Amino acid sequence: MSKRVPIRATAQMKQLMGFYYMMAKTAENDPEQKIAWITSGGPVEILHAAGVIPIYPENVAAMSGTMKIADEICAVAEDNGFSRDLCSYARTDIGSVLSGKGPLMGTPSPKPDFLVCCNNICGTVTKWYEELQRIYNVPLIYIDAPFQYGIKDRPEAIDYIESQLKQMIEQVGEITGKPIAWDKFIETLELSDRAVKLWREIQDLLQHKPAPMNSFDTFIHLAPIVTLRGTQGCIEYYETLKAEMLERIEQGIGTLEHEEYRLGWDNLAIWYKIKFLADRFSQHNAALVVSTYTRNFCYQTEDRDISKPLRAMAGDYMAGYINHGLDFREKELYQMVQNFSLDGLVMHSNRSCRAYSFGQYELAQTMEEKYGVPVLIIEADQNDTRMWSDEQVGNRIDAFMERVAAKKK
Amino acid sequence: MSLEVREFIKPFVSVSEDLYYFSKQAKKNGEMVAGFMCTYSPQELFHAAGYFPVRIIGKDGGTPLADQWLQPYACSFAKSVLNMGLSGDYPFLDLMVFSHTCDTMQNLADVWRRRVNGPPVIIVSTPNLSAGDLSLTYLKRELTRVKEEVEKISGNKIADDKLLNSINLYNKHRDNMKLLYDMRRKSPTLITGTEMFAIVLSSFVMKKEEHNKLLEELIQQLEKMAPENIAKPKILVGGSVCQAQGFIQTIESSGALVCDDDLCMGSRAYVIPSVPEGDPIEMLAQMYLLRIPCPAIHKPGYDPAGPYIDKIKAGNIDGVIFLQTKFCDPYGFNYPYLRKRLEQEGIPSLLLEVEQNQPVAESFHTRVEAFIETLSAK
Repeated sequence: MSKRVPIRATAQMKQLMGFYYMMAKTAENDPEQKIAWITSGGPVEILHAAGVIPIYPENVAAMSGTMKIADEICAVAEDNGFSRDLCSYARTDIGSVLSGKGPLMGTPSPKPDFLVCCNNICGTVTKWYEELQRIYNVPLIYIDAPFQYGIKDRPEAIDYIESQLKQMIEQVGEITGKPIAWDKFIETLELSDRAVKLWREIQDLLQHKPAPMNSFDTFIHLAPIVTLRGTQGCIEYYETLKAEMLERIEQGIGTLEHEEYRLGWDNLAIWYKIKFLADRFSQHNAALVVSTYTRNFCYQTEDRDISKPLRAMAGDYMAGYINHGLDFREKELYQMVQNFSLDGLVMHSNRSCRAYSFGQYELAQTMEEKYGVPVLIIEADQNDTRMWSDEQVGNRIDAFMERVAAKKK
Repeated sequence: MSLEVREFIKPFVSVSEDLYYFSKQAKKNGEMVAGFMCTYSPQELFHAAGYFPVRIIGKDGGTPLADQWLQPYACSFAKSVLNMGLSGDYPFLDLMVFSHTCDTMQNLADVWRRRVNGPPVIIVSTPNLSAGDLSLTYLKRELTRVKEEVEKISGNKIADDKLLNSINLYNKHRDNMKLLYDMRRKSPTLITGTEMFAIVLSSFVMKKEEHNKLLEELIQQLEKMAPENIAKPKILVGGSVCQAQGFIQTIESSGALVCDDDLCMGSRAYVIPSVPEGDPIEMLAQMYLLRIPCPAIHKPGYDPAGPYIDKIKAGNIDGVIFLQTKFCDPYGFNYPYLRKRLEQEGIPSLLLEVEQNQPVAESFHTRVEAFIETLSAK
């Protein structure tokens, strides 16, 4: 098996995230400090500008997945009537609230003063946050970012989001009792913009051969851009990570001793099997060098005009990969194949995520037939381990890699 | 029930034998037919453009063609209709209309657009937030865009007075259906739930002009009838789609009356209210935002248990059976809350997971019978 050179910045990230969660847990007992739960695609800059601490149930659920306590927590939600067929993040989060168990020193996320839900990642969050609102009986701010079926985003949809963001700024001011200062908001947007650009640059560095880190690493290094974009700490962290990646490129350090094949990943991580997957692919000298999942957090509109900040923000919150139909997804996937010199694509058909997964079979066939790109589909779940089999998936990976190798010869 | 009334129900019931008989007839007569996936598609707009709008409904049977494109964890309704689309089972369509509701419908629309060899597809971007002026502004612009797209595809201009006429026709139809539901709440033995469900199904695939006429004749007959007293447990069924009549039949043959429902292929299809006359696009936008929302759509302050409790009180309902379509997220997420609220109201409920494309399972029958027995023993 190939030897991996560890990424130094990981320790700094753990520290950054640890500090953030400690601050959030402390804030739970401070009535002056407001806490909001927000979806991963939600407009968090408004919260940072208002001094509200954002909590990401998706991120906390993924932590439970990585710590392998999600099954047990999900079971509590299931006992309370939430079907096992529903999203495992939602079940992990709701189960955590109901059971009082969670990954933060054994406890769940700190209680929210209000909720922010944006449907630019899926429709499931709508239902999940409605349930949270019933449990906590706190205000729910809902941002509707219309799904774009075409390649070009519709201006009326951007107008619609812009008007909702404007309303949200007022609502958050009302909840905290302190109107958001415009210059503070602009400053936060600029910080967020810099972090997003850095995150994109870092991922683009993986175009280099050998790639200085693996997509499985980017799943881990995703946490700050999701939870802390709009803060100085986020920028500092990604600057460190970027410098380390440039250093690795200069020294020719890859993630494998010999990087022979380059693959792309589609859909959420399989949190409880990251190591297994990384090891199995590395046995075949295959590196995963790009993923639609981690890139979803750095989409910005092309004709972005920062002199109209709310409009730029509205465009960004609609621009993500998952908020677009198959025409857009096909275009993006093919661009990744070209830019990252991919030999194949691995699609995680994620039982929890219908929004992300339905259409993958179609895309897989399109990629194979139209572009000649081999595709492997892994049937699994982001957090729920109960359907997983190491042996089955391992065999499929081996067979797929044979196909990739044969094609490259 | 008198034989006379049965005569008035027959035309509705016979529709179930061939759901798309009228669509095929219309096509033969050179008319244009538009298929729509759910009642968030503004049928009035398509009607005004000269289309005969018919609801897309699946059928019993395997879905080998759809399985190629949708994962095993896709709902049976999506698979069933996609399979029919891929098999060419809707040959009469000149237009196919999707509306944005749940994640499954979203991606089904896209797979359909790219893989079904059929007529042009229009996707209506329904706002998933049903609230206030912001949603209204967006929906008005979206409906204007859809109107222009329909005009281009059909070659027919949609004049305001035409659209107003269509809105009035559909309002009249919804009023008739609501009246029939109300009559059953007061006198549940007038017609059976199985018959009511046949009337509902026929309403999706018959011309509204014709359906209105039949409904009005039936209502006239029913008004003459005296209510009977039959001591059977009264059931309300809840769920999303319900394309198979077998579920309702089985519940009734087990000794209960299905008196009401909260189904999107049921009473929820008629919850769009009428609004004062004005600009017809504005009217449509208001109507679709005022309606009781689909569970996939967020409406601030709306309580999904509200309609259940209202109907239970209005019809003296004894128990609720949830026909939960497997993998239907929006209803799945509502269920724990609904169950809790019903418990608080002292109403027993039963959850049955169903597949829309399979005949009624023996276990379904057994569990329904057991549930009805407990209700009868009360």
